Amino acid sequence: MDKDSIKWSIITIVIIIGILMLMLTIGFSLGILSEDPDGLERSLIDAKGEKWLEDLPSVWNPILGWIENDYIIGIIGIILSVILMMAIFYLILYISKKRKE
Amino acid sequence: MHIPDGLIDPIQLIIFWVITLIIIGLGFKKLGKKFEHEDSDKLIPYIGVLAAAIFAFQFVNYPVPGGTSGHLVGGTLVAVILGPFAAVIVLFMILIVQALFLGDGGVTAIGINTFNMGIVGGLIGFYIVKIILVVLNKTSLSKEIKVTIATGIGAYIAIVLAAFVCGVEIGLSGAIPMSISIPAMVFWHVLIGIGEGIISALIVLFIYKVKPELITTEELLGVE
Repeated sequence: MDKDSIKWSIITIVIIIGILMLMLTIGFSLGILSEDPDGLERSLIDAKGEKWLEDLPSVWNPILGWIENDYIIGIIGIILSVILMMAIFYLILYISKKRKE
Repeated sequence: MHIPDGLIDPIQLIIFWVITLIIIGLGFKKLGKKFEHEDSDKLIPYIGVLAAAIFAFQFVNYPVPGGTSGHLVGGTLVAVILGPFAAVIVLFMILIVQALFLGDGGVTAIGINTFNMGIVGGLIGFYIVKIILVVLNKTSLSKEIKVTIATGIGAYIAIVLAAFVCGVEIGLSGAIPMSISIPAMVFWHVLIGIGEGIISALIVLFIYKVKPELITTEELLGVE
């Protein structure tokens, strides 16, 4: 990979991540994003009620559950997704190249 | 469409974990072969960004009439860009982050959620797009427009199909009778799917305009 293509890859990625962060910021500050339940939650609430849905037993406490600000959670999620996904696909690439050798 | 912990019975959860892990194992093999090309490492940073985009779009809920909201699932979108098996892996990873860190979808339900959103929404969605392209190939539209239209329609059908499957799973778990869970899930996702189709189509069109080489599946899709 030449230096120029690395430079432009990084610039593109930073810009796209910036746009995603901006999208979350605008969405949360203007309040255009909906707080209503999604399709599955709506179906369950209509059939069983909100309390039933909230009381479903869970084996796990979310690691970032203590953060109340949705925007911060969104940003952390974006960063985690990038890191995890790149690590997994580099691993696939590494294994496939090793196997080829 | 994120199934929480405690909703689905353990037997179904185990079955869907096994199916999902088998498909992911297959996906690793298929992607390994795809990545044997010298310059394939250029794609990796973009895959990371695509995952971030899907995560961000899943995070933002747009309003849907009737006091409900919808968000992009992105399975068909990722499948059209990276391939059907890559879509399963990408959705699996995103669902892990969402379940472990944010509590969006259950940890025990990662397998069944990956089945619904990655395998039905992504892998099957990809082949729905491929079928639509067989029809569109008979038109004089440009390649970009054909793929964009097929992605929009395919993503819509795939999300409604995933909702149907989710309704069946909830019915089988005994939480809600199937006669209620299937119509409810399909009804809401017939509305929510419109957003899925439009957003997926627009993102594909955007990629075609700025970096068309990121659409790596044209040959597999059979677009002419």
